[in-house]
Amino acid sequence: MAELYVEGWSPEYGAAVDLSDERVAASPIDTSVEVDGLWSPMNGHDDDIETVAFVDGIRRIDARLTLDDPVAGPVAGICGSFAVGATIWDRKARRSVYAHQQVHRMAVLASGSHIDFPIVGQALDYRAESVATDDPAALLAHFHGAMRRAEAALSARLAASGTFVIADGPINELRAQPIVGYIKSHRVTYLGSDLMPVIGRVRAGQRTPIFLIDGAQFARYSWYVRLADLAGGHSWTGIVRCEAPTALGIDAAARLADRTAALLPLTASEPHIDPRAPQNLVPIAALERHLRRRLGDQALVYRSLQAAVAESRATLPAAEFATESASEIR
Amino acid sequence: MSEQQAVGRVLGTQHTSTQEFRVVLDDDNYLQLDDLVVVRTQVPKAGEVRTYGVVTESEGIFEGASFESDTFRIAEDGILPAEKVRSAQVAVTRVDPELWVAADPGETVYRASGDERSKALYVDEMGRPLPVGIGRDTKPMFADLDFFDGRKGGHMSISGISGVATKTSFALFFLRMLSARPEILGEGAANLRILVFNVKGEDLLWLDKPNRFLDDEARDAWATLGVDPVPFPSVSFWAPPRRRSGDVVVPDTGGRQEGVDAFTWTPREFIDEGLLRFLFTDASDSRNQLSFVEERVRTQLNRWAVDVAGQPGAVVLREPPPGGWPRSELATVASGERVIMSLADLVDALEEFLEPVDGDEPDRAWSGRTQAGTISAFMRRLYAAQSRLGHLIRAGDSRRIDRRQAQITVVGIQSLHDLAQRFVVGAMLQETFEEKEQTGQRLPLSVVVLDELNKYAPREGQSPLKEMLIDIAQRGRSLGVLLVGAQQTASRVAPEVIENAAIRVTGRLDAAEAQRPEYGWMLPSTRARARLLKPGTMVLSQPAIPVPLVVTFPFPSWATRREEVADEGDTFDGI
Repeated sequence: MAELYVEGWSPEYGAAVDLSDERVAASPIDTSVEVDGLWSPMNGHDDDIETVAFVDGIRRIDARLTLDDPVAGPVAGICGSFAVGATIWDRKARRSVYAHQQVHRMAVLASGSHIDFPIVGQALDYRAESVATDDPAALLAHFHGAMRRAEAALSARLAASGTFVIADGPINELRAQPIVGYIKSHRVTYLGSDLMPVIGRVRAGQRTPIFLIDGAQFARYSWYVRLADLAGGHSWTGIVRCEAPTALGIDAAARLADRTAALLPLTASEPHIDPRAPQNLVPIAALERHLRRRLGDQALVYRSLQAAVAESRATLPAAEFATESASEIR
Repeated sequence: MSEQQAVGRVLGTQHTSTQEFRVVLDDDNYLQLDDLVVVRTQVPKAGEVRTYGVVTESEGIFEGASFESDTFRIAEDGILPAEKVRSAQVAVTRVDPELWVAADPGETVYRASGDERSKALYVDEMGRPLPVGIGRDTKPMFADLDFFDGRKGGHMSISGISGVATKTSFALFFLRMLSARPEILGEGAANLRILVFNVKGEDLLWLDKPNRFLDDEARDAWATLGVDPVPFPSVSFWAPPRRRSGDVVVPDTGGRQEGVDAFTWTPREFIDEGLLRFLFTDASDSRNQLSFVEERVRTQLNRWAVDVAGQPGAVVLREPPPGGWPRSELATVASGERVIMSLADLVDALEEFLEPVDGDEPDRAWSGRTQAGTISAFMRRLYAAQSRLGHLIRAGDSRRIDRRQAQITVVGIQSLHDLAQRFVVGAMLQETFEEKEQTGQRLPLSVVVLDELNKYAPREGQSPLKEMLIDIAQRGRSLGVLLVGAQQTASRVAPEVIENAAIRVTGRLDAAEAQRPEYGWMLPSTRARARLLKPGTMVLSQPAIPVPLVVTFPFPSWATRREEVADEGDTFDGI
């Protein structure tokens, strides 16, 4: 009978897996979808949209697991929690609120192992899943993917109700919905040397013309926006990239692009407050802090997990061990 | 248990304690300073425990704002989501049953009303709760009379900046409550006597007149306190005689003449009661040997004075036979013999003994072995007294203040010089106290209201008046002599007097004064607020309740100025 253990090692140990969403593979680029020929910075336009939703998610590895299978040997696993939610910016009321927060907890095991994960506590319900390989990075990727899917689902839900959504990270949206992906870092060079200098000339509140990234899975419109003119910065300081679904059509995408060029600088963070300024937008940074709190205290969760897993071993076959431990945890 | 109003929950991010806790308020409710709350906590093995408390501070914050500039991002730009959290700090006043455990975090906090309010204020445990003001919830606040009338404690001390602290107004309000609710005061209400000194203006000379500015709001407040908004029913007014008015004795008052009696002491009374000592009440007098001479002269006067036939109140000084003069002795004045009709006559007579004009040695029987310089100093003070309060001593029919005439005796000393004020206060206090000392009974109660206590019982120095006040503060409780003392700054008053006051009250205080140890009974938050108190708002502390109460008292139903006096008839009749 295989027994489950919570590793004493810090959950973050060995987590240095690059989960960058930016697709590294070079895709064909079309820079003539909006402006054909020479580019120059374009001014943003605030169309007084009343509501803007910023969607983001955060995740945390709660514990590392080992399933001690007497036959197959040890199987790695992780316990993790993630939360997704939105900051709804009511521009008319000049007020922002958190909304649609949801917390998910997962136990992921490698090698396709399936277990009944013990019930840890009332608010700590871990869903057991598995990945086919025994690659530790795949565990994390699976977990991360679940979070990205939850984010995308929330973005889609909000957008379907007509809300303009700014989602953290690249988009996975094919439908014609008002969703803009917001990418903080630049790992891929999309523009050629002829157009690259325009980036340096884009001022805060301006954007580049839209270009098309004709990716393997689906195509996206993209453009660069400068959030702030920071003194002493290089030409890419304060530049972020945005994405929108091509299904919108170029005109609608251009309207969204104008809107982001006007609105995003308003929500940019200050360098003296946030080291990731200005790219780490205030509503998103706040949302991340808020969601992190919703995950619960890490040390408390870790101890609860340890206790519940140990209990489940002691009382095998697993049946009625949960009640007592749950009350202890609280 | 009806009308329960939940206002919030006990904060859970910091420890609750038996001293205090915080309440996070519901979005649709509020708590203000001095509000009373109750929390019910289920204690394992003990059952429900109720924690009562009073709000000492109210606060608000944007939760989620980490930098001050976040305020703009939240409130102006609206890009930063945040939770507005309002909370209140509560000082625990009581735990019932007395099981000293902290309130549970997360428990619902209710506004204490009805019985719960009484419990929070310990009214259910008070022997005789007398309303002494109105709380912020417009309901009466109480003081336990057991701690005023001497049963468990006595005296009241009122402090505060002059002008805005309304010390005298509060003292009178308290007297009104005391005299108008005899059913609460109980046996002490019978023959209750109150002596009030009017030291400034003529504010207290209208206590028996209705106030024409009394409005409905004030009437409601008086109704809340269970007292009719009418002036004091039984008051007698006394004032010193006007100077240089010849043989006609007219009270020296500005605004009011009718109903005011002039008071004087006869030389006989002056000597009998040893009032000479109250001419030496300056704190510096005790440092030299003046009191020595004074004592000797006082004793001699007592032995030598003989009544004069046909001249009531006047005396002549004659060497007494062994055993002294019998009290019934009536002298027929010999020619050339000095008849003492006034203080001036007395001073002249003493001069002959102490500083003979022809340069002879002073009479040792009167002066003792005192240095010539001390004698001169003594005489200098007598001359000064003669010019300042000479008019208070005159022969004739007795015009001494009769405290039996009315429940409240108002003695107007506002027109007198400091020295004369101290003399009158000393004489009256001595009279009151000795009367009670002789009977040894606590009842009937005798209340003395004295403003500017720092003048009569200063922290530094010695004087017969200060000794008397300390004596009253220490022993008066058991003798039924109760001092309602007022002063701008308690730190300037003899500590014995302040410490013996069971009930302490302050109006607005100077910020520096509020930090002195004399006000240690106030909570830090109350101290901070003491410099902001509005006129008519007082902080009251009593032994029965561990936290001070903030109370307001209604606009007086009696006039405090001539302009406020309502006509006895209806002024607006026929208009």
